[in-house]
Amino acid sequence: MGTFEFTEDHEALRASVRGFVEETFPETEVRRLMAAPTPLERSVWERMARELGLQGLIVPEEYGGAGAGAVELAIVLEEFGRRLVPGPFLSTALATLTLIGGDPAVTADHLEGIAAGRVVATVALAEEDGGWDASGVRCEAAGEDEWRLTGTKSFVPDGMDADLLVVAARTDAGVRLFAVDGGADGLAREELDVFDLTRRLARVRLDGVAATPLTATGDGSEFDRFLDAARLAVAAEQAGGADFALAMAVAYAKERVQFGRAIGSFQAIKHMCADAFVDVESARSAAYYGAWAIAAGSPETAAVAPLAKAFCSDVFFETARTNMQVHGGISFTYEHPAHLYYRRAKSGAQLWGSPTAQRDLLATRIGL
Amino acid sequence: MTETAGAAASEEQVRAQVAAWLAENWRPGGGGPQWRERLIDSGWAAPTWPVEWFGRGLHRDMRRVVAEEFTRAGAKPVALDVTQLFANTILAHGTDDQKREFVRPLALGEHRGCLLYSEPGAGSDLAALQTRADRDGDTWIVSGQKVWTSGAREATHGFLIARTDWDVPKHRGLTFFWIPLDRPGVDIRPIHQVTGGSEFNEVFLTDVVVADSHRLGEVDNGWRVLQTALGFERLIMGAAAGGSSEQRRRAGRKDTAKADRQSPWTRKIGGADYIELAKTTGKAGDPVTRQEIARLYTLEKVNAWNGMRARADSGRGAASPLASIGKLAMSRIVHTGVKVTTDLLGTASVLDGDEDPVAAEVNRSSFAAFVTSIGGGTDQIQRNIIGERILGLPKEPEVDRDVPFRDVRKARATRRFS
Repeated sequence: MGTFEFTEDHEALRASVRGFVEETFPETEVRRLMAAPTPLERSVWERMARELGLQGLIVPEEYGGAGAGAVELAIVLEEFGRRLVPGPFLSTALATLTLIGGDPAVTADHLEGIAAGRVVATVALAEEDGGWDASGVRCEAAGEDEWRLTGTKSFVPDGMDADLLVVAARTDAGVRLFAVDGGADGLAREELDVFDLTRRLARVRLDGVAATPLTATGDGSEFDRFLDAARLAVAAEQAGGADFALAMAVAYAKERVQFGRAIGSFQAIKHMCADAFVDVESARSAAYYGAWAIAAGSPETAAVAPLAKAFCSDVFFETARTNMQVHGGISFTYEHPAHLYYRRAKSGAQLWGSPTAQRDLLATRIGL
Repeated sequence: MTETAGAAASEEQVRAQVAAWLAENWRPGGGGPQWRERLIDSGWAAPTWPVEWFGRGLHRDMRRVVAEEFTRAGAKPVALDVTQLFANTILAHGTDDQKREFVRPLALGEHRGCLLYSEPGAGSDLAALQTRADRDGDTWIVSGQKVWTSGAREATHGFLIARTDWDVPKHRGLTFFWIPLDRPGVDIRPIHQVTGGSEFNEVFLTDVVVADSHRLGEVDNGWRVLQTALGFERLIMGAAAGGSSEQRRRAGRKDTAKADRQSPWTRKIGGADYIELAKTTGKAGDPVTRQEIARLYTLEKVNAWNGMRARADSGRGAASPLASIGKLAMSRIVHTGVKVTTDLLGTASVLDGDEDPVAAEVNRSSFAAFVTSIGGGTDQIQRNIIGERILGLPKEPEVDRDVPFRDVRKARATRRFS
């Protein structure tokens, strides 16, 4: 399976996910969930696992998953991103990435629960200062055989709904990832007011909460590898959102008439769309290339991951902005969906590492 | 021709035929005019051309097979059916007499062509050209000025498109010719380019007499012939530079993969290896520089990946719209690259020549960037093409549509460089 060579299985996966998403999450449903107390509907979550096996897609087969890899995950996330599907799919996928390959004694139950649709999971990385790499982690992990976490994590996606939280915490030997049960004593969560209502965030306070280490002590290379996988997962979701925002802009440019002609015939509009097309296709290429790099275990991943996250973030934001501009006044109304993409794009760019931070990391990783 | 030829020939048959012919005709270290002549007459230099016109009548998929056998025997493969856009166009639109007269000298390299298309008043809007060809019995009298003609000084002939009817809308009154350049009234002058070089020429045509036997296609049907010729030009560019053409996919797959492995991390954009330059100028730690370099590097990488993706798509038989965005994307890369390397050089970038060879190269590249953003269709025309042909957006209303060209507002007819 060479890079960019999507198989029939890939196309079938894309088609089935697209069908599911369009049927299950039309705009009306997305808006209903935005206003609901929680975007998570357990019945839908279970159906997603039972009928499509999406939560178990990347879970190894011995734990009830499909054992698929980064390319398949990218396809699903791209499709979810296109329709701004609310709820904890991305969060759970990121948590799953931290569990795969770990000590079965710790991870087996979690992976089985995720694959079966019983467990919603998330990853708590950032804290109040909003940093996303190991250097920003102040939450403390104490213990040896039995670990206890104390600190405050913030910007935790779907943190209110998660049954399992993977928490980055500092030990004497560096930053490690820990599994924390959502019902553990000493865990308190509060929902944050957020700009992107399709992605809920929470603040999570930990006061001596029992936790199980997922990564070995060491130099943080495992943590970096997880971050790279997370960056590329998010990039794929952003590429999907950008693609849909462009499609909206183009469709409107064909149908909206001013000065006696479709506005898409004006070069001012046409050229915005053409530039967005170049960007969006490039973003998809970056996300796909990254997915294949991870799947192949390529050393290129270290550069491609921050590159793709920065680029797909910027492209999604630019395209969402172009989409609003092409729509003109109607895009300024709450009823029109253009602002939903703008919100997702603007917020998503800053989650899991800003474009500026990612570019600086890329510069380091290409030798500067 | 005794062997099986034609579109039905199998790969094994073709392979055996080429190998047998090479065994008889090719000697290692060979070449030269006699070899060339034998090769042309054998048809193996242009496998997809018809058997009666210097080809073998094979399917285009067989080009790869023929090329592989040539390479195996140590002979340089020749694919005139890809590279010879003049002969390709003549075979598509010429009469049998024209094919007999014009194709063989082109195939042998005795005749060399150039393209007399653009004019000072007809750049992006080529159909607005004003070079005229007026009928005079069995000849045409041609007057006008062509520009941006590369290779004109080396050429013996040129593809000329000229206006033969001024009373119909612009696309309809054009006629296509294959004209000899050694005639009175043809004046070729090199253009002194901003880069200092002179790859391009102006070609002044003053009452040049062209025989009607040099007309390709019907009178006033030149726009269609031109589209054929442009199509063959794209075939060459696709074969040479990437894109998704079938020929490249078949013939160059391995080379492509090799190039992808070797080249994606090359950074000589904007006239210098910008990462090395950042280090040697002591700016590798500067936050702004790091952002700019990461952006440039990203643009370069995603464009390379787009190319790989286009080839993977076309490998699955899907026509990839990605093939259409490479030129516009490259334009942004080269112009951004120049900005980055110029910023890295700082004040030293004002120097040129031997005073600072790095600055000189950056400065030369800064002009070369316009070859990408203007030449072969400006960025703005590329955006129209993407908007209209890929995204399906409606065309701009054309004020010269359905108007006799005589009545259309025109650019100034000539501009002479002193």
